[in-house]
Amino acid sequence: MTKPHVIIIGAGFTGVATAHDLALRGCEVTVVERGDLCNGTSGRTHGLLHSGGRYAVKDKESAVECIDENMILRKIVPQVIEPNGGLFIALDESDLAYAEQFIESCQECHIPLEELKPSQALKLEPNINPNVLVAFTIPDGTFDPLRLALAFAGTAKHYGAKFHTFTEVESLLTDGAGNIKGIKALNRASGRSEEMRADVVVNATGAWAGHITAMAGLDAPVKPTPGIMVAYNQRFVQRAINRLNAPGDGDIVLPQRRMAVVGTTSFDAEDVDYIPVVDDQIKLMLERGSELIPAIRSAKPRGIFMAARPLVGGGSGRSIARTFKCYDHKETHNVDGLVTITGGKATTLRAMAEKTADVVCAKLTITTSCVTKETPLLSYRSYYTTPN
Amino acid sequence: MAETWKITLRVYRQKENQESHFDDFQMDVNPDEYVLDAVERAWAFHDRSICFRHACHHSTCGACGMRVNGVEKLTCITSIRDVTHNGATLKVEPLRNFPVVSDLAVDMGSFYRKMEAVGARPVLPVTEAEIENPPSKWDPDDSQYLRLSDCLECGLCMSACPIMATTPEYLGPAPLAAAQDQGLRRKPELLSIVDCEDGVWRCHSAFECTAVCPSFVDPGRRIMNLRTQVVDIKLRKLFGKA
Amino acid sequence: MDQTRNQPSARKFLSWFIPVGRQAGGWAFALSRVTAIGLTFYLFLHLYVLRLLALGPGHYDEFLALTENPIIKFGEWAVVAAVFLHGFNGIRVVLTSFGIGVTRQKQLFYVFMIAAVLVILIFTARMY
Repeated sequence: MTKPHVIIIGAGFTGVATAHDLALRGCEVTVVERGDLCNGTSGRTHGLLHSGGRYAVKDKESAVECIDENMILRKIVPQVIEPNGGLFIALDESDLAYAEQFIESCQECHIPLEELKPSQALKLEPNINPNVLVAFTIPDGTFDPLRLALAFAGTAKHYGAKFHTFTEVESLLTDGAGNIKGIKALNRASGRSEEMRADVVVNATGAWAGHITAMAGLDAPVKPTPGIMVAYNQRFVQRAINRLNAPGDGDIVLPQRRMAVVGTTSFDAEDVDYIPVVDDQIKLMLERGSELIPAIRSAKPRGIFMAARPLVGGGSGRSIARTFKCYDHKETHNVDGLVTITGGKATTLRAMAEKTADVVCAKLTITTSCVTKETPLLSYRSYYTTPN
Repeated sequence: MAETWKITLRVYRQKENQESHFDDFQMDVNPDEYVLDAVERAWAFHDRSICFRHACHHSTCGACGMRVNGVEKLTCITSIRDVTHNGATLKVEPLRNFPVVSDLAVDMGSFYRKMEAVGARPVLPVTEAEIENPPSKWDPDDSQYLRLSDCLECGLCMSACPIMATTPEYLGPAPLAAAQDQGLRRKPELLSIVDCEDGVWRCHSAFECTAVCPSFVDPGRRIMNLRTQVVDIKLRKLFGKA
Repeated sequence: MDQTRNQPSARKFLSWFIPVGRQAGGWAFALSRVTAIGLTFYLFLHLYVLRLLALGPGHYDEFLALTENPIIKFGEWAVVAAVFLHGFNGIRVVLTSFGIGVTRQKQLFYVFMIAAVLVILIFTARMY
C-alpha cells in the first residue's frame, strides 16, 4: 500500500513543522521552497520563545497556545534555545496600572510568574533601566531562527521527507473540476520545470499565502504586516526584557549570542518580496530600546532588517489576533486538494503543524495520531547529513 | 533623506551544466544598507532567477556568507559603505571550497558532517562562553544561563583557509575550534579525531580563519590551543601520568 | 550539476601564492611558501655545486666564474633574504603554535618582517 503523497509549499517554520508531523504520521512528504529554508518571514523572526505574557490580557487564546508550546519546545528542541526566562518591567505609571490585569491574566492562562522588587530585578539584570518600578519573571526564551527550522526539517528528512529548495511553484495542477492535483515547479538551479502530483497540497507560504491561492483562483485572508528589528552589538541582558504594558512598538529586547535585538513595529504593506528599512523606525527602536536598557544608546547597530508577519483576519496591525488559521479549501471554496495554513507565530509552529496535519490526515483518512509533542527532534545538522 | 549611491552589483551566476559568468546590475542603493540587501534587491527587482541563501539578517544564522570583492563576509552585517564607493562595482561570489549549488549558494554538507563528527555544541553555559568586557557585572550565579555558541557555522573560515583549498579531508578551522571549545580533557574521544594528519597538525598558521570570522570565534587561536591540549595529553601518557 | 567545481583539490595549490583579499597572516603564509620553495631549490643547487667541487680542483675555477655572474650574485642575496624572511616568520609560527602572541599574530608578523627587512638591509650594505 503506497503512502499518500503530500506536497508542502514553503519551508518556513510552518512548512518544516508540518513536514515533520506528516512524515511521522506515515505520509510521503515533499517540501518545495523557492529559496532556502527560512528565507522569508521565519528567518527574520525576533526569536522570542513566547511565554504568552505579551498576549495574556487581550488575547488569551494566543497566550495559552504560547505557554503550552513554549514548554513543549523546551523539551523537544533545547539545542536551539537560550532558555533563560524573561522579565516584564514597569517604568512609569501607565505600566504600573497594567500590572494588576497582567498578573490576573497570566494566572488565568497558567503562565508562571513571579513579582520582583526593583532591587531584585536589577540584581538579576544590572543593565535594565534603573528606574524600574516593578518587574515580573516569566518563562520567555530566545531561539535561533534557522536552527529551529533545521531541527524540524532534519527530523522530517530522517523520516523520509524530501526537500526541494530553490524550486518555485509556477502553477497548480488541476483535474477537470478545478480540484488541485499537484504542482508545476521551476527548479531555479537547473532552469527546468517539473510536474509533481500529490494527494494534498499544503500552502505554507505564510505572508505569501495569497500568491499560491491565487493560482487556484482563490484568495486567502492574510495581511502581510511588516515590522523592523535592530540588532545591537552587545549582549546587555541574559533574558528577554519586555515592557509591562499593552503590546506596542519596540517593547521587546532579546539577547541572542553577543547581541541585543530590539523589536518591533507593525504596518501594512503590499509587496512582501522586498521591504526597505524605514529610518524613522530605526530611531524609534533606539528610543524605545534605550528606555528598557539605557546602555543601548551607546551600542552600535550590527544588523537592521524588516520582516513581514502573516496576520490573519480582518482589522489591521496589532488589533488582529495573533493566532493561526488552517483552511481546507474544499470547505471554503469547494476546491479539493488544497489546504492553506497561515498566521501564527514561531513559538506555535508545532501546534500549527499538528492542526494542519490533522486536517490533511482527515482528508486522506489516516488515523495515526500526532506524536510531535513528545518526540525529541534530531540534531539540526541532520538536515545536512541526511541524504535527500 | 537617505544618501543614494549608484553602484554596479556584479553577481556570480552559475546554473547547472552551464559555464559560470558574472551579471552586472546597475542599482541605486542606500550605502548604509547591507550587501545582502543589494543582492535581495537584485533578485526582487532585476532578476528573479538569482539563487542565494539568507534567513535571519542579523548574524545569528550564518546562511548569507559570500565573497564580497574577493573577501569572505557575512553579507547581512556588511554595510555597502564599508566595501565600495559611489559609482564603483560591488562583486559578490559564492564561498570557496564548496561545490556551487546555484549562483551564490553552495553545498556545505561536508562541513556540517565535520561539525557533527566533533559534536560541536550549539548551546552552552555562559560561563563557558565568556564575553570579554561584558557590559556590566552580571549575576554571580550566572552558571545557570545558557547561550547560543559564537560559531554560526557560516563557513567563512572554511572558505578563507588556504589549506582547505587543497585538502578536502582537512577538518578545517570551525570543526577544530568546536573541538577545542569542548576540551580534550572533558571529551577524550575527540583526541583521535583531531590528533591526526588532517586534524590539528594540518594548519599552517595563515590565520585567515580568524581574520574573516564574523562571530568572535578566533579559530586560529583555538587550533593552537588545541595543539597544546594534544601535546599535553600525549606527554602525560608518555610519562605514565594519564 | 557540476559538483567538481569550487571543490577543494590539490590542483588549487597555486592559490597559496596569490593572497588576493587575504590579510597579514595569509601573506605570511604565501611568503613562507615562496621562500621555502626558493630555499629548497637553492639546496639542490648548492649540492650540485658541491659535487662540482668534489670532482677536482680544476672545477674550482669554473665555479668562481659562475659566482661573478650578476644573476648568481643576485641569487646569493636572494637566498640570504629568503633565509631571514622565512626564518623570522618561522619564529612567529613557532611562538603562535605554543599559544604565545596568538591574539596578536598580525602585529607579530609586522614586527618580524620589519626586523627581517632591517637585517637584510644591513646585510646588503655589508655584502656590497
